[in-house]
Amino acid sequence: MVEFEIDGQKVQAQEGWTVLETARKYGIHIPTLCYHEAVKPSGACRLCVVELREGDWSKVVISCMYPVAEGLKVFTDSERVKNVRRWILEMLLAECPASEEIRQLAAQYGVTSTRFAIHDPDQDCILCGLCVRVCAEVVGANAISTVGRGVHKQIGAPYLEPGSDCVACGSCVTVCPTGAMRRRLDAVRGKPKVELAR
Amino acid sequence: MSAKHNQANDSRIGVFLCECGQRIAPRVDLAALQKMLQDDPRVSHVAVEPFPCLAPGLENLRQTIREQGIDRLVVAGCEARIMLAKLERELREVGLREGQIDVVNLRGHVAQVHDLDPQQMAAKGYKLISAAVAGLEALEPSPDVKVEMKGPVMILGGGIATYAAAQELIRRGVECIIAVQTDNYWDELRMLHEHYPGERHYYDRLEKIMQEVDSSPLVRRITVGELTSLTGRTGDYQVTFSFLDDTPPKVFQVGMIIACLDGQMLNQGSDFGHDGVTVMCHTEAEEHIWTKGVPEGRVVFWVNDYEAGTPQFAYLSCRSAWSMARYMVEHSPTTQATILYNHRMAIPLSAGERRLSRQLGIQWIAYDGALRPTVQAGFVTCCDPVSHIEIEVPYDRLILSPKRAVGVEASKVAQVLGLEPAPGGFLEVHESRVRPEQQGRDKVFLAGSARYPCDLHEALRQGRRAAVKTAELMLAAQRGELYAPRMVCVVDPNKCIGCGLCKEICECGGIEPVEGPGGNIPRHVDPMVCTGGGTCAAACPYHALTLQNNSSLQHEARVAALARSLGADEVLAYGCIWGGLAAADNAGVKAMSYDPRLYLLRVGCIGQLDPAVMARAFLEGANAVLLIGCPPESCHHSYGLDHTWSRVNLIKKLLGLCGLDRRRIALAHADLNLPEEYIKTVESFVRLAAELGPIERTPQVQERLAGLYGTVNNARVRWVLGASLRRPWEEVYPGNQRSALAFDQDLMGIVTEEFVRTRVANLLQREKRAFELAELRDTLGEEEGLLVNCLREMVAEGQIGRVYREGVPHYVLPS
Repeated sequence: MVEFEIDGQKVQAQEGWTVLETARKYGIHIPTLCYHEAVKPSGACRLCVVELREGDWSKVVISCMYPVAEGLKVFTDSERVKNVRRWILEMLLAECPASEEIRQLAAQYGVTSTRFAIHDPDQDCILCGLCVRVCAEVVGANAISTVGRGVHKQIGAPYLEPGSDCVACGSCVTVCPTGAMRRRLDAVRGKPKVELAR
Repeated sequence: MSAKHNQANDSRIGVFLCECGQRIAPRVDLAALQKMLQDDPRVSHVAVEPFPCLAPGLENLRQTIREQGIDRLVVAGCEARIMLAKLERELREVGLREGQIDVVNLRGHVAQVHDLDPQQMAAKGYKLISAAVAGLEALEPSPDVKVEMKGPVMILGGGIATYAAAQELIRRGVECIIAVQTDNYWDELRMLHEHYPGERHYYDRLEKIMQEVDSSPLVRRITVGELTSLTGRTGDYQVTFSFLDDTPPKVFQVGMIIACLDGQMLNQGSDFGHDGVTVMCHTEAEEHIWTKGVPEGRVVFWVNDYEAGTPQFAYLSCRSAWSMARYMVEHSPTTQATILYNHRMAIPLSAGERRLSRQLGIQWIAYDGALRPTVQAGFVTCCDPVSHIEIEVPYDRLILSPKRAVGVEASKVAQVLGLEPAPGGFLEVHESRVRPEQQGRDKVFLAGSARYPCDLHEALRQGRRAAVKTAELMLAAQRGELYAPRMVCVVDPNKCIGCGLCKEICECGGIEPVEGPGGNIPRHVDPMVCTGGGTCAAACPYHALTLQNNSSLQHEARVAALARSLGADEVLAYGCIWGGLAAADNAGVKAMSYDPRLYLLRVGCIGQLDPAVMARAFLEGANAVLLIGCPPESCHHSYGLDHTWSRVNLIKKLLGLCGLDRRRIALAHADLNLPEEYIKTVESFVRLAAELGPIERTPQVQERLAGLYGTVNNARVRWVLGASLRRPWEEVYPGNQRSALAFDQDLMGIVTEEFVRTRVANLLQREKRAFELAELRDTLGEEEGLLVNCLREMVAEGQIGRVYREGVPHYVLPS
């Protein structure tokens, strides 16, 4: 049994748990995007950052992957954490300005505009790769992956063509934190034989 | 918490309510819900967890399950589609297996999508959880079945992929038998160009593979007769080879089978000027090189696949033309090669190959595909695509692309293996699009160009891939770690009469006939092949097939529990995990609000739903039933959706006979990516249900509904229905039916008759006294002519007895 503090509250955890899991057990809210309970964490979105303090020294880590340890002093909503989150959200706003979910989340932290360059005003995907992990770990189909590199990176089936590996289960759409997978699904599963009228 | 056992079967059902952060807890009154479940005698333990799916929650779950001896679990949280696999994986160590855990989407189907107060949310949640509890209560968990391999792997068909497959197997230490045409692999290499022309550059490597296979002690090479039968199932196949003379057939017992089948190359017809001497095909050109050496002079390869109507194979033909041209130019200084290709295709060469082609002086000439080239003596005339001038290409030998086909030999083998040619004529079969763990293993792993035209490299790769999958299963079985999936169909041999209906409608090919004692032929399901779609079980006239751990009885228990608790304007619905349920989940994720009077249950495929499940819902109190499957033509289990259409149709007929509105049951379609459309579907049906109002449950109506339930369980009705599980626009009808309409009228006749007979039997059973005709007529409210006919038949079949009292016939239960 490991004992430490989150936001001044004494908590108990077991070896191997993460800070995020422990916080959730105690009902302490930490925002996440790329985290999903059904798959292993990957720490892609960095939104779940928390501050660890020791004396007058402190560091900011991602809670979804940070293992618990005896005597940690975790702060989930300190000024430093909020500042980092605002930066992250500002970057996300520039990366995927078309996502309603991201705009709402950013607004909660008072971020309504971005100082970073917007490359694609229609982009709604934050490339967190949650869909890819669900497809691999939950479904086992491995039908999608990130395709391309750098600014050309996107989510899709190999060669960006509908492949036979996709079983069209829609798990990727269900877990997608920004709703971006919805537009991409037909490019992965192929167009349905009979399309229902919209 | 007291040690409360379930009364029905001594099971202990636990329910965990998830708070899911802020997403369930404040919106649903979990304390009230917990209280309701604690008062439920079927539930042994109830607890609220902040996150049952995360490490702390799972630890807690495991501890509680151990302490309380819980053997069936409901987690009311989020999407079963996403979370069930993790729960099954994490809770295996405390003894909960597939089928023993159910997940109710409290977040996505209740908390996020309705504007209700927390108590009403809890009440709705309770009804859904109660249905899940009833389903688990009716569960009869199956024991785990270990799959054993009673023989080595056999590689059949004699295709060249045999060697790649065998090589892969021996490298993994798996024994195999290879059934080939000749005793000597060299002969096979010599004749290989008949199936794969233009692959000469590969022969050195292939020969090494063949040597490795030939010298391995793990490989047994047999050259025996003709394959005549394959029976058995994964781990225990009997393969029979017969001989033309009187030699008795040879039988091999093998564990698994890989089929390597090479397609056949046919010559083009005379319309391309084919004469086999100056104008020939690839295979003949290869034979020419073997027997007479490289042809000299101007050799023109015409990649004529577009003109032959198979543009999809132009790539292959072009590759093989290129490698043949290369071989010729490299081996004969007096040969000039030209490749004539349709300008619509890209030259399939890598940069390096293009450079080599230039160095060798191989000419590539594109022609305008709009104008068909003409073969003349010594010249091919065609149109230049750039200048639009008609040109003549001189040749000494013109080499055409071959025609590709499955071939007679491969077809024979394929037929024995039960591989049906696909619409294109090749053997590549359509796979049902289900999750890999549900996807039954291909009954026979297939490799080679008979599957679909491919080059030698691809054929060998397919062979290796098949071998990898086979070896994995063989090695797992050797370690004793290979278990059959749990949600598969099983046959009760005591109920099965061997009619074969299930085999006809089975989409995965898992059902196999087995000779049984007494000449009976009960069926056996190969659990490793079955996908668990379950439409076969829903079709069985005698309920001999069961989808174990997910049976029709469980579905009946679910709908019964739910139907009993539903209000007058509430709708019972089923959504399949690929269509309706997925759309509902996505509506939940997006927190789209819709009518809360819909109660959605989860089913793997809508085709799993036996008509008895639908009938039971009405019998137990449902006023309207909605089944939401995939969009048309996209059932993941191939035909489940269409089968359901027929079943819904049957229920509609019977509702009509009960004097109820036929619209009370409906089949609907939902695309998982269109949650708005799903909501439209739901709301319009809920509106309709409200319009129709509740069924007035008089004793007469209940009696008729009991008749409805009895009728859908009637073997004759189920047989006729099962034999016609298809849409009327399909042209071929079983039993030489004249038309869809005629069939439907016949079905209606049978249903009407059996409906009356069921009700007569029910009435006599209930009252246990004699009835005369007039009283039966008045009690059942049926017309006399029909009733007389039914009674006569029932008496003739001994279903009821007829006694005369004062000269008046009375009908009684048979003594």
